[in-house]
Amino acid sequence: MATQRPDRFDQVDWDEVTESSGFSLTVNAKGLLATTIPLVGLAVYDWQVLDKRTPTFDALGWDFDVPGLDYLFAFTILLFVFYVALPLYQNPRMTRYYWKEFKRNRPAVVSLGWIAFVFVVGLIGPLFVAAPEQSVLHSYQPPMYLSVDTANAGTCLGETANGRCFGTWQYPLGTTRAGKGVFAGIVHGMTISMKIGFIATFIAVLFGTTFGTVSAYAGGWVDEILMRYVDIQASFPTLVFYLLIIYTFGGGLWLLILLLGIFSWEGMARYVRSKALSVTEEEYIKAVKVSGASSFRVVRRHMVPNTASSIITDTTLLIPGFLLAEAQLSFLGLGDPTVASWGQLIAAGRDALAFAPWIVLAPGLMLFLTILAFNFVGDALLDALNPEAAAEAER
Amino acid sequence: MGLGRYITARVAWAAAVAFIIVSLTFLLLALSPNPQVQQAATQAALQGDNPQEAREQARQLRGLDKPIHVRYIDYVVGIFTLNWGWSTMRSQPVTEAILSSLYYTAQYSIPWTILTVTIGPIVGLYSSANKYSWRDHAATGFAFFGFSIPNFFFGIILLLVFGIWLEWVPVIYNTNVAVFSLENARQLILPVFVLVTGSIGGIMRVSRNESSEYMNADFVKTARAKGVSPLRAYALHILRPTMVPLSTTMVGQLLLLFAGSSLLVEVVFSIPGLGRVLFESVIAQDTSLVLGTTLVFVFVGVIGNLLQDITYTVLDPRIGYEDR
Repeated sequence: MATQRPDRFDQVDWDEVTESSGFSLTVNAKGLLATTIPLVGLAVYDWQVLDKRTPTFDALGWDFDVPGLDYLFAFTILLFVFYVALPLYQNPRMTRYYWKEFKRNRPAVVSLGWIAFVFVVGLIGPLFVAAPEQSVLHSYQPPMYLSVDTANAGTCLGETANGRCFGTWQYPLGTTRAGKGVFAGIVHGMTISMKIGFIATFIAVLFGTTFGTVSAYAGGWVDEILMRYVDIQASFPTLVFYLLIIYTFGGGLWLLILLLGIFSWEGMARYVRSKALSVTEEEYIKAVKVSGASSFRVVRRHMVPNTASSIITDTTLLIPGFLLAEAQLSFLGLGDPTVASWGQLIAAGRDALAFAPWIVLAPGLMLFLTILAFNFVGDALLDALNPEAAAEAER
Repeated sequence: MGLGRYITARVAWAAAVAFIIVSLTFLLLALSPNPQVQQAATQAALQGDNPQEAREQARQLRGLDKPIHVRYIDYVVGIFTLNWGWSTMRSQPVTEAILSSLYYTAQYSIPWTILTVTIGPIVGLYSSANKYSWRDHAATGFAFFGFSIPNFFFGIILLLVFGIWLEWVPVIYNTNVAVFSLENARQLILPVFVLVTGSIGGIMRVSRNESSEYMNADFVKTARAKGVSPLRAYALHILRPTMVPLSTTMVGQLLLLFAGSSLLVEVVFSIPGLGRVLFESVIAQDTSLVLGTTLVFVFVGVIGNLLQDITYTVLDPRIGYEDR
């Protein structure tokens, strides 16, 4: 149905609208279901049939094990494809309009390109670049075109001249103390950042949107209770809380992502609520209610889509916070040591800062650039999606 | 509802929030296994004693054998009578440990807060008065740089450049210098700079966008037509309505950094402040000290939110008290 939706109101084929039954799935929902069911099937197969040590694709002769977290990651990517990317393709006129507005902010366009780059490399990079592995002999190799005192490096792989060791293409960005390649660490760190970004955002959007829209739509004591809960969560010093929990229960990536997602949505809930409050006053919501739509349908089909601009804008500003939190906890030594994240690299290079600054600089710059890109894109989206806010500011 | 009643209701709610969070923290720590009891049991097992017996003994020693509600009441009473327990890590009462670390935290927090609160709105106003000039673009660029660069990473880089390569500032924090001395200023300049860049960006952006709304408002034009000096127009007519949304951002940003990044900054610059004490007590599993320092952060957060709501209504008389 959604694909045939005309651009303009006077082109709507009303017969088609009245004939459509109450229960029909959109192309988006069908697509999501069609791809999610095999995914769930694979997850169940991996969990129930295979024992823990057998790789997931063992039956196909492919030695590749899917970690548990990746199923959720794949699901959030599917959600993104069918509910963010596909609608943009389905509504070319609005997409062109948003793109025109977005394009006016040039740093944001460059930033979007950077985010797309991190996304693509994060997804397919691990297939081409092997995971960083320890090799004690190759500790502190310098990056390509740079050199380090031979006293500091392990067995020098490249040329040595005047007591200085030069970098090789085997480790384009040098190695850490444990001999792990910084370049490989950065590529795999992109994947980790993507996972954190996608899954934690999914959880936060789920909670924030539900709390915000339900609170605005229901009003009264429901609103009061939900928002007072949001108050409590907002007063809690979150990083302190993460420290406590992660130290007590061990810092797996799972737990970290779960914590980040569950304890970060209070700002979004407030923001969405204020937007949704103005939506509830609109005539069309009254019309839908009079037509006999259930509360769930009003919230799902009318409130959420009409507050989507606030949700998307807030999301782009939420992701950098997640990346930063992971890096901070890893830096404090509380991250998941088995995971090759940027934060782990920064933590690994801290002691050798004086003679091997590349270990800290390379992942730190990646982190900085990615956070900067999200901030620029969020700023431009705010202008493109909320024209009233922009008009107010330009006056 | 009058202002007095509104403030009373708001303070009561803040107290309730503090109480709820205190209870949640207690529950969290009560449910997680106690490392000291575990340790006693392991030790007993190694020495060939009965580990179960040793565990019971250790629990009894720490009052953990009492039912949970009794412990909860003891805990709450202890908090309000300032009896926060004994820190095993530092061998001193928790309140004393917190006070001595607050002394170091305050030394960089006070200059940081003052600088952020004064410079941020001024630069923002200046930007909006000179919109789209190169100065405005420079300020915007700086703002984005400031809130995008991870504070701990920025701190490490500055320490590398100014501490190790140029040797302008000491790398190790010295606790023995006087508070108002040149050495102390030299060792605190980097942490303060890092925190100010981190918190000032958001404030500059908000004050720029909000004040541009009022730059050509009717009441400002009227004031100018009546011959108000530009400075007075900026300070009294434009800044005041800007401060209403800005106060929210300000408190939010400062609290966020205080309870988050200041911990990292203290670790990077080896300042023995509150954040580092919390971190070290978590690592050393010193439960009383963890609880005590967490409570300080919780109280700061709750009081900050309270102040923010009250200044909001005092600054803008148009905001009704009915909708909270």
